[in-house]
Amino acid sequence: MPVYFIDTIIIVFYMGAILVFGLFFRKYVSTTEDFFLAGKMLPWWVISFSIIGTNIGAYDYLGAAGGAFRFGIAQANYEWLGAIPAMIVSALLVIPYFWRNGVYTVPEYLGKRYQESVRTIEAVIYGLFLVALLGIFFWASGLMLHTYLGWPLRLSIMITAVIVGVYTITGGLAAVAVTDVVQLGVMFVGGISVAIIGFWKAGGVKVFFANLASAHPQHLKVFLPLDNPYYPWLGMIFGLGLVLSPAWWCANQSIIQRTLGARSEWDAKAGMLFAAFPKTLVPLLVILPGFFALMFASPSEITNPDQALPWVIKNLLPPGLAGLVFVAFIAALHSSVDSTLNSASTLWTRDIYQRYIRRQASDRHYLFVGRMVTGGFVVFGVLFAPMTDKFPGIYVAMQNLLSFFQGPTLATLLLGILWWRSTRWGGFFGLTGGVASAVVMFLFKLNFLYVAWWSFVASGLINVIVSRLTPPEKPEKLRGLVYGFIERDKRAQEILKHKAEG
Amino acid sequence: MNFLEQIPISSAKFIITLLYLLLAFWVFRRPKSYILEGTPTKRRWQDLRIWALLLIGIQIALYLIF
Repeated sequence: MPVYFIDTIIIVFYMGAILVFGLFFRKYVSTTEDFFLAGKMLPWWVISFSIIGTNIGAYDYLGAAGGAFRFGIAQANYEWLGAIPAMIVSALLVIPYFWRNGVYTVPEYLGKRYQESVRTIEAVIYGLFLVALLGIFFWASGLMLHTYLGWPLRLSIMITAVIVGVYTITGGLAAVAVTDVVQLGVMFVGGISVAIIGFWKAGGVKVFFANLASAHPQHLKVFLPLDNPYYPWLGMIFGLGLVLSPAWWCANQSIIQRTLGARSEWDAKAGMLFAAFPKTLVPLLVILPGFFALMFASPSEITNPDQALPWVIKNLLPPGLAGLVFVAFIAALHSSVDSTLNSASTLWTRDIYQRYIRRQASDRHYLFVGRMVTGGFVVFGVLFAPMTDKFPGIYVAMQNLLSFFQGPTLATLLLGILWWRSTRWGGFFGLTGGVASAVVMFLFKLNFLYVAWWSFVASGLINVIVSRLTPPEKPEKLRGLVYGFIERDKRAQEILKHKAEG
Repeated sequence: MNFLEQIPISSAKFIITLLYLLLAFWVFRRPKSYILEGTPTKRRWQDLRIWALLLIGIQIALYLIF
């Protein structure tokens, strides 16, 4: 692929600018709350754009464009059905309980609601997954710079690590969230540019879709038959829409963390809810390039669907614009790396170090540890990056491991918020039993969408049965943690009555 | 899974629309005080139920079109 001087200038300028911009926020960090929760000062619009910036990774660009090339608009289910309803539920049901309780992590809430073992299991699993992701992100980022600009691979990985590591270690969540906003802007400018050029080459939006509908009518159908191995419609609705997506949007630390840093409960809710508007438009960025490749490339030019987007960049875009779209890729990766780093550091510092290694230290000590852990993860990510290429099974294994937890985590979280009668042992056995059921279904080679749904159901049932067999929790433990519990809480009712009587 | 294969694919749109309508009903039933908790100004545009209902409307439209 030819690289023009203007493309290199755009890429180098972006990387320098994002480093300087991120470093600006170091002066606002003096406590752990500043570092992990941006001092609880984030307004709703920063939270919104940061959530979407974190959510879109470079893999989404490549994978979604490839999925659209192969299966059509059914790929958009991951952005619509697989996000919007869950974001609404997360904003209006789950996030208020996290925010009101002042927790730093999702496992911390589960620990308060159930018991510490539930917190530790969740923290270790999500912590391991996030750390493994770092190696993959660093490798992908280095590979992109190496392939596109011809820079040495090791140097390319180091450049990414230094840029993202420096502003994440110094500026914490505030630097991460605000740079995410800039990175999302870059992504949308790049994506919309591709859309404009593509439609222009096709002779207009109407002409393009008319041609697509006549050449590939199945590509404009959002639901695919049940015998489709990847996107069976029933699995999409029940597995993706009702379980995997809510688990991601309600319990994923790297998504939830910026809402915990909101300046008010309303900002936390509004941040998540408003993020659903740009999320609705994400298919413009990730689906359309797949359609352009399908319509403009000859069949011999694209043998692997993941080549759809690179083909569009190489063949449709003029010099300068190709560099901009490449910067959008880099921005997508950076926004995922910085959020993963910050969230992994929060989980390991708050839920593991502070809980099991050193309990009663000063805030200054935990801030230092948080920064050291972040730096340690940067070094680990750089060293681990080549391994992810040599042993691709690592990522698949981690993804499988996490998928076993998605349904049970959601069931445990929802029952914890919605049902006051759910007990500490109901939570523990619901979570572990649900994971065990997921492993068994995985061994029987059930589609992962169905594994998610049935492990969610199994976990919920076990939770309900065990909770019914064990004594209820004391009201003082549940206060502020369960939806509608105030109506059952005699002490709270007495206080309200006294207040009403003056 | 054979019995499931008898369900026509057209019912997917019906199920998804029904689920979105149920979600809209749930959103609509949230108390205003709960929705506006944390904002001192309490203006009409800050009512998050309106945002959510707008999102649900867009989603239903998209799924009916495609």
